[in-house]
Formats: sequence, structure tokens, C-alpha cells
Amino acid sequence: MNRVKWKLEGREFNSRLMIGSALYPSPEVMAKSIKASGAEIVTVSLRRQSATDLNSGNQFWEIIKELGVTVLPNTAGCHTAKEAVTTAMMAREIFEVDWVKLEVIGNQYNLQPDPFALVEATKILIDEGFRVLPYMTDDLVLAQRLAEIGCTTLMPWGSPIGTGRGIMNPYNLKTIREQFPNLNLIVDAGIGKPSDAVEAMELGFDGVLLNSAVALAQEPIKMAKAFKYAIYAGRLGFEAGVMEKRDMANPSTPTVGTPFWHQFS
Amino acid sequence: MRLSINGEIKEFKEKSLTIKEILDLMQYNKGIAVALNETFVLKTEYENIEVKDGDRLDILSPIQGG
Repeated sequence: MNRVKWKLEGREFNSRLMIGSALYPSPEVMAKSIKASGAEIVTVSLRRQSATDLNSGNQFWEIIKELGVTVLPNTAGCHTAKEAVTTAMMAREIFEVDWVKLEVIGNQYNLQPDPFALVEATKILIDEGFRVLPYMTDDLVLAQRLAEIGCTTLMPWGSPIGTGRGIMNPYNLKTIREQFPNLNLIVDAGIGKPSDAVEAMELGFDGVLLNSAVALAQEPIKMAKAFKYAIYAGRLGFEAGVMEKRDMANPSTPTVGTPFWHQFS
Repeated sequence: MRLSINGEIKEFKEKSLTIKEILDLMQYNKGIAVALNETFVLKTEYENIEVKDGDRLDILSPIQGG
């Protein structure tokens, strides 16, 4: 595919798909799915692990390194600003990157980000020299606050993590897009099928971050490829400009020179 | 002293140890990051910071994430 590079937080990429590394049936399927997706940015995380497990080799981390992708660490599982800040700092040291997908969960039922703790943690991390990509709800005022404190990329959800419900509120996402034309906007979470990703891209979003939609598909590698094309198609569609909807039908076939049998009706 | 390490209580006969000494004792070597009492500790500080009875250490390493 003929691609135009785009910039995210000072780095250039071809693909507008960012993909997660969790929930695949096996490490092999994960690696093949990531390759098939064409994604250049892969999200990773940090957890407690015993020395015994680590010394027998961190197979996951070795595979990711071999893929030659850019990693984007997340702060999944954090419920307070303090936890998220500490995790981000640990991630910066291990992964040697200055950016973080900042997650601070506020509700255990729908894993909704806590907007207040998110702003608090973002402030601290930006002061510490991080590039913060906040995982957030599709709230316009929250977007405004995060932009004011220095975020240049925002990642509102399509719907709650892992639900596959697609874009719950296109109006909210469209409004954020219109109000922040110069920020990078990524739909993160809730994408279930390729058409959801097309919708996000047609709304003018700069990219899509997903994981479960590929990892939990019947055939993850094939689905990864489907998302690769969907995101490319959606972006082209946005750039090309969608026609206005009309109430009245309008023939697409020229009426001049209509054959004789129509002229008698 | 008693320490909480990755959520488990561990007993050490020493009264205090540096973070480096603890990591060595537990055979952690590379690919980790450490937080002491929920505060991040730079790798370069492992030799200088002593932990004491009741402290909490979290030792994290890379894992799959979405």
C-alpha cells in the first residue's frame, strides 16, 4: 500500500494502527498478528514477576524486541495518580522510551478512566519530561484540560476496554476532533470489528489503538490484516471527503439518452 | 527484618540491606524496575538506598499489555 508518513509525538510512522500485545492464544500468534497488522507501535505493560520466572527468560519481551517495533508502555491496573506515576517512571527506565499510555482506572465495572486522577498524573509526568498519551473518556472538557496542561495526543475510548462495542458516541468523538484540529487523536479501546475502525478514521481520528478485537478473533492473524486495510481505507475516505447526505434520490446513471422504452411510461 | 516483596512477606536476618543486596539475594538481575514504598527508585540508586523492617518493595518486569 502506498503510505504517507504521519507524526506522533515527534516520531514518524507509516501505519495508523497501534496494537496491543495481550490476550493472544500464543506468543507465536501474537508475533504473527502484530506483523500482519503492519502496526509499528505495540503496547506493553509491567507486572510483578518472580526472579525464577525472569531468569528462565522473558520470552514475551524477547519476541517483542525481535519484531523491531516501537513500544508504548501503559500503566494498566493503576487506580491512583501516584500508582500511575510510579509505574510510568518504572516503564521509562525498563523500556527506555519517554512516552506512556497513561491509564488510571476509576471504576472497576467498566474500567472507566478516572478523569481527575488522570489530569493529576498527567501534570506530574509532563513536569518529569514525559510525553503523555492519556487514555480518557470521550469528554470534551477533559480533553480541554489535558490539552491545557500540555498533552499533544489524546486517546479517548470508543467504548469500555475489551467490550468490542465499537464507537458508543460518535458525536462526542466528532466534537473533540472538531475542537482540537491540531492534536493527535487516537481512538483507544472498545473497537470490535474492522468497520468500527473505519468509522473512527472517517471521523478524522489520526489512529486507532486496539487489542482484543484482533487477539480474541477466531483467526487473529487474518483479523490483524483486516484492521490494517480498514484503517487505511478509513483514512483515505476521510482525506477524500465524504459526500453530503441527501433526502431525495438522485440517479447516478446519466438520464440523457435514456432508451425508448422509458419514454413511454 | 520483614519486608513485603511483590506482595509477599519475606524474612531477612540482616537488620538492613541495600536494594542491590536484596536483588542479588533474590537473584534478580536484569530487565526489572523497582519501587520502594510505592516510589520509583532509579537503577543507579540501588547501591545507595537501604531498606528497613516493614518496607515494601515492588519489582516489575515487562509483560503483555493493551
